[in-house]
Amino acid sequence: MTKHFEFDINHVLHELKHYLPSQTPLKDFIHHNSLHAFQHLEFFEGIFKASAIFGYKVTLSLNEYRKLNKLGRIRTEILTKTIIDNYGEVNFAAWLDKVLNKSYDSEVTPRIGQFRKNWQKFYNIDLDNSVQPLLFRIINSYLDQGISLWHFPFEDKGLINAIKIFEEKSFSSFFKTDRVKKLLLDPNLNMVELLRILVSKESLFQEYIFDQQFSHRGWSGIVSSIEDNPNSVLYPKSISLKDFITLELLLEIDALTAEYGNKWRPLGELLNKEPCDLFGPVAVTELQQVIMLWQQAFEWSYYDEIFAGLISLQKQKNAIKKGENTENFTEFIGIFCIDERECSIRRHLEYVQPHCETMGCPGFFGVEFYFHPLNGKFYEKLCPAPVTPKYLIKEIESNGVRGHELLFNKKAHTILRGFFITLSLGFWAAIQLVLDIFRPKMSLAISDAFAHMNLSSTLKIEASSPVEIENNLQIGFTVIEMVDRVENLLRGIGLYQNFPPLVYAVGHGSSSANNPHHGAHDCGACSGKPGSVNSRVFAFMANHNEVRKILKERGLTIPDTTQFVGALHDTASDEMAFYDLEVLTPVNISRHKSNVLHFEDALDLNAKERSRRFASINTQSNIKYVRKSIQKRSVSYFEPRPELGHGTNALCFVGHRQLTKGLFLDRRAFMNSYDYRSDPEGALLLGVMKPLPIVCGGINLEYYFSRVDNAKMGSGTKLPHNVMGLIGVANSSDGDLRPGLPLQMIEVHDPVRLMIVVEHFPEIILKTIQSSPEYYEWFNNRWVLITSIHPESGQLFIFKDGQFHPYFPIFKDVKEISDVNKLIENAKVMKSNEIYHATQEHIPVHILN
Amino acid sequence: MNFYIPLFILIPFIGFVISLIPHNHQEKWIYRTVFLTLIYHFLLLSFFCINGIFKDDFNLFFEGPALYKTNTSNFSFHLYFDVQTAFFAWITDFIFIVVSTFSKTYLHREKGFKRFFNNMLFFFLGLSIIEFSGNFETLFAGWEIIGIASFLLVAFYKDRYLPAKNAMKLFSTYRIADISMIMGIWLSHHFFKKSLNFQELKFLELNYLGGEQDIYILIIPFLFFLAALVKSAQFPFSSMLPRAMEGPTTSSAIFYGSLSVHMGVFLLLRTFPLWENHYVFKIVIICFGILTCLLSTFIARVQSSIKTQIAYSSIAQIGIIFIEVALGFHTLALLHFAANAFLRTYQLLVSPAVLSYLIHDQFFHFVKPNNYIKDDFLGRIKMTIYQLSIKEFNMDTNMYEFFWKPLKTIGKKLTFFQTGKALILCSLYLLVGFYFIFIKKYYSEPWLHQFSFFGGFLSLGLILSAFESRISAENAWWQIIFSQCLLGQAIALNEQFEITQLLLFLSGIVFAAILGFLVLYRLKQKGDAILLDKFHGHWYVRPRLSVAFLIACLGISGFPITPTFIGEDLILGHLHENQIGLTLLISLILVLDGLAIYRIYARLFLGPHPGSYHESAFRSS
Repeated sequence: MTKHFEFDINHVLHELKHYLPSQTPLKDFIHHNSLHAFQHLEFFEGIFKASAIFGYKVTLSLNEYRKLNKLGRIRTEILTKTIIDNYGEVNFAAWLDKVLNKSYDSEVTPRIGQFRKNWQKFYNIDLDNSVQPLLFRIINSYLDQGISLWHFPFEDKGLINAIKIFEEKSFSSFFKTDRVKKLLLDPNLNMVELLRILVSKESLFQEYIFDQQFSHRGWSGIVSSIEDNPNSVLYPKSISLKDFITLELLLEIDALTAEYGNKWRPLGELLNKEPCDLFGPVAVTELQQVIMLWQQAFEWSYYDEIFAGLISLQKQKNAIKKGENTENFTEFIGIFCIDERECSIRRHLEYVQPHCETMGCPGFFGVEFYFHPLNGKFYEKLCPAPVTPKYLIKEIESNGVRGHELLFNKKAHTILRGFFITLSLGFWAAIQLVLDIFRPKMSLAISDAFAHMNLSSTLKIEASSPVEIENNLQIGFTVIEMVDRVENLLRGIGLYQNFPPLVYAVGHGSSSANNPHHGAHDCGACSGKPGSVNSRVFAFMANHNEVRKILKERGLTIPDTTQFVGALHDTASDEMAFYDLEVLTPVNISRHKSNVLHFEDALDLNAKERSRRFASINTQSNIKYVRKSIQKRSVSYFEPRPELGHGTNALCFVGHRQLTKGLFLDRRAFMNSYDYRSDPEGALLLGVMKPLPIVCGGINLEYYFSRVDNAKMGSGTKLPHNVMGLIGVANSSDGDLRPGLPLQMIEVHDPVRLMIVVEHFPEIILKTIQSSPEYYEWFNNRWVLITSIHPESGQLFIFKDGQFHPYFPIFKDVKEISDVNKLIENAKVMKSNEIYHATQEHIPVHILN
Repeated sequence: MNFYIPLFILIPFIGFVISLIPHNHQEKWIYRTVFLTLIYHFLLLSFFCINGIFKDDFNLFFEGPALYKTNTSNFSFHLYFDVQTAFFAWITDFIFIVVSTFSKTYLHREKGFKRFFNNMLFFFLGLSIIEFSGNFETLFAGWEIIGIASFLLVAFYKDRYLPAKNAMKLFSTYRIADISMIMGIWLSHHFFKKSLNFQELKFLELNYLGGEQDIYILIIPFLFFLAALVKSAQFPFSSMLPRAMEGPTTSSAIFYGSLSVHMGVFLLLRTFPLWENHYVFKIVIICFGILTCLLSTFIARVQSSIKTQIAYSSIAQIGIIFIEVALGFHTLALLHFAANAFLRTYQLLVSPAVLSYLIHDQFFHFVKPNNYIKDDFLGRIKMTIYQLSIKEFNMDTNMYEFFWKPLKTIGKKLTFFQTGKALILCSLYLLVGFYFIFIKKYYSEPWLHQFSFFGGFLSLGLILSAFESRISAENAWWQIIFSQCLLGQAIALNEQFEITQLLLFLSGIVFAAILGFLVLYRLKQKGDAILLDKFHGHWYVRPRLSVAFLIACLGISGFPITPTFIGEDLILGHLHENQIGLTLLISLILVLDGLAIYRIYARLFLGPHPGSYHESAFRSS
């Protein structure tokens, strides 16, 4: 009896999709763990495995760590502690020597690609070179959203069917040989048959397909992602990974046949080879063990300092509490997104107006819906990526009409009109170019956070009765639905008493020019869109009389004098807009007017703080000038860093603002408000913490991997990027798509994992994170780290091996400073973007007096 | 005034030299050097223009020192300033000032910041030489500089595979233009019995007498036209332009969007007097113009990558400009050049913005295109055109299939030339040949001509084999040197001439050859692979050797201002116009030797470095 090997095509495709990059088309940028496929393993095990299989560089290099140690960025006492924690005191000296001095051979040959490489060996043919240019061209034209003037025909029939129609009707062909033309038109055309021709042995099929698809992971990834998520593109295309692979196999057979006729033999026959288990176990090398120690020491050198800061701050506050009793009243509350870029503006706002409070919650403000702008042909999803909303918010009035930008006219690419357009617009282009360089200003070609929804537009937020349905979506929310959302949010962030007259819900977005990755700068909780509609919708709900009535019944009383205002903060230009001011009472209007001045001052200071990382701006110049320059950057075509996005993110706090108020965190912390006192059993905690790993952890890990291997997991420097089909970027005209973040976004980032600090009892937190296995995986496998800060004793407990252990910071020297501006003005500037230069730009934790 | 024209060359040259001094992180320093260079150039030019307008004198000429002069040949440095020069130079200066200001911020903190601006100034120097050149020899010097600057800028991101590959692709296409231009210059020397300058050329009356001479009048413009076709990426060379857009967006804008591609137009305008009355030739130009325009427009229509689309639209407009030149509408052609250069520069610079613009636009104005093509004859034609446009009318593959591949196939077969025996044979041959040269006898003997012809064949064999060599770089380097010497000798044997000319030629080669060997020796000593089987990316660890080897390559390939170049040019003067066979042979050798030389540089120093202790991109990205 012969052993029958069944090749399961669907299984292989499923596996393949799992490992391919899952970045969606660039119009919506959703951060995610670049190595999500390895998340079921412990962090280091997972990344080293990924490295062995795919050849990614998954940490900094040994040399870089050693340099960081010499610099003092990796503290020796932390390194010592890490070694002892891992290998005990007995082995300490031996490991220390390995860590500091031993030299290692770091050469790694990835498993992927080894099998298919043999074509070159046997036939001296470079299949990638002969197949990829045409393959990329076809798939790009097929998926193109609107660059070409003449679209790929029959794009709704599926790729292979469209190619078949071409083959039948056209006088030309994509293929050179009759053999492949016949194969294509054969009704029994399928992947397995083609693989038999190319590889012959079924046991090697899987390896071959992986080798082949990972030789251009960008295109394969986008095909797979559009197949799974057809709505991620506006112009729908019928595409499947299966079709794409079939086309590539055909082109490969074509290239081989064109070169060697029928004289070539399948790879499986040429090579007497056992199938290699790509995903089989990977041995951990000593170098990797050493790197593991270094990476932990690198991370803990930072966490330890932060923890020391937290504890010193508590001590100081306790001392003050005992001494005096300050009078406290609140003018207004600002609810910001948890985004770490809002960390500084909250601090500045509290500084310029001591009688205000700031809070943090995910920037969609707990209201999930699709948004339909007036005259828009599509809906936009405005909530975190994994949520599928059932509601639709429509813009019913707006005085903004979107026009056209002359110089972006596609007709310039035709003959006759092109001739006249060139001769006339050409000279205009010269003037425009000079203006754009010396007087940059907002235009239609620049993505404008405030243009997402017009300031004066009217939204339909409340559902009519009976509810209207459009495309299976309910238009607007009913009162009860509003109540649920408002209550959830307010209780979650611990705002259930002491309401001030004005509460601002501040969403955020980002304006930038010439930036295909602009979506990555917008609000992650709004699927990579500005959060203006959400903040406005939330404010409307919270102001609604009926809603307040029911809230009162549920024990949440919002005084009649309190009003909510929706707002938008542009994190690139540091400007703010406030919505629906006409609903405010006259008293509140005047209060608002004076608050706006505070917001303005805070924005000035925020701009100044940000400017320290921008070479084009002198931080010490007049503050208004600095602000103006920051604003200019966001509309400059020549500025590849309008803002630095989530670069430097490292921490996430869940707790009362008192935990961190007075601590200088250098814009590195996500901050979610939460009050353990209102939730002693942790009933709300899960709801609050649920999105954190996927949103903040996703951001953090994407930055981590794009930083450590910008060439393979990031998209490299953005300067040569070429926009492909409006779905992605590539280098050159024949290049593979490049998912991940560009160099300009990650150069300031220190690759450390996200540390979530929760203000609650360890046992409650443990119960919460163990609520579901997939959720627990994030923490247990240490892709994000978590620490509890005991609400009563202030003791820290770090989570490790399934339990919380007490932690006592080693760092003793937390500095105090009274003037933040001094700190900012005197901060170091990186000499180059190598990690040991870049990391020196970070300002250590300080207590502000 | 005449006396000051060289300043237009000197300023960029000095700027370029100064820009080599600062360190990469001294960004302000570097930018200031660039900016001052450009501004001085611009001010001087404006002064010249104003002067020209007021005095109505756009006809300045500068006769530089003759670099080499005998009674038969004259190789001198001539500069010329007329309206065409003023116009082109003004547009060039303007675009340079704007784009370099743009680049200052755009390239901030880039690892190649300095290299980028060095290259820009080098390119600017080349453009200035072309624009202000007074004769073909001078123009050719600028032409070569642009070629090298382009090569280096395409390979700006040398740590990736595609830039290295495409840099070679661009270079090999440019090489065709270079050689056809050299041949054009050589033929015109013979035809006019002297080196013609542009001032004389303008007032030249060409008469078609009929008879033997007309062939040359026919061929000379064709050679220059071929050079213009390549430089302006016209049919059938268009496919190299989008592939050259590998560097930072700003460099693509200035090189391939605007200035470099229009140099073909400049050349065509300069050579206009040569073919003014030559109707067949005009029709040929118009046909090429129309063909390019049609094909490029089709390709641009189906393009789904933005820079490629802009590249093809630019090519299409240049096709029209060619037609305008041929029809004699020169003012229109100049205006069209300026407009096209501005528009494409702008479009390329803001090309990344197209994503957000078009997506937003689509969000509000999307109408699903009706993509059904009817199943009738017209529909089938339409589909064919679509399909061919996607394949760029096979321009890229055909260039390889019909031109490079046959040469490679022959090269592969000539493994004999890689053996020691071949080198010994060639040495003997050289010795005998030089003996004949030194004794200065037998020049009239027909067998000596055959001897020299055979030497040419040996040279071709060597170079073909070096061109396809996959073994050690040292071996290929030997082959190239022998091939060069054989070539020099073959021409020297052709006619009695002064030995100093040959020595000039050889001295350049010897210096470069030794430098090349030293670099290869160092590489070997350090244990680096010097096989030519793939890109090794040694620049990553040996940046200095990389520069040294580049200089050796420039020297040996006869880069302008090296002695080899002058020698090469002089030696060519000794070919007789009726020796078509020898001429073709020599042109082929010259095309190939440049390629074989830069291929060694590319293979050894460009491309991804194999070490896995640093980041390195996937091959396809």
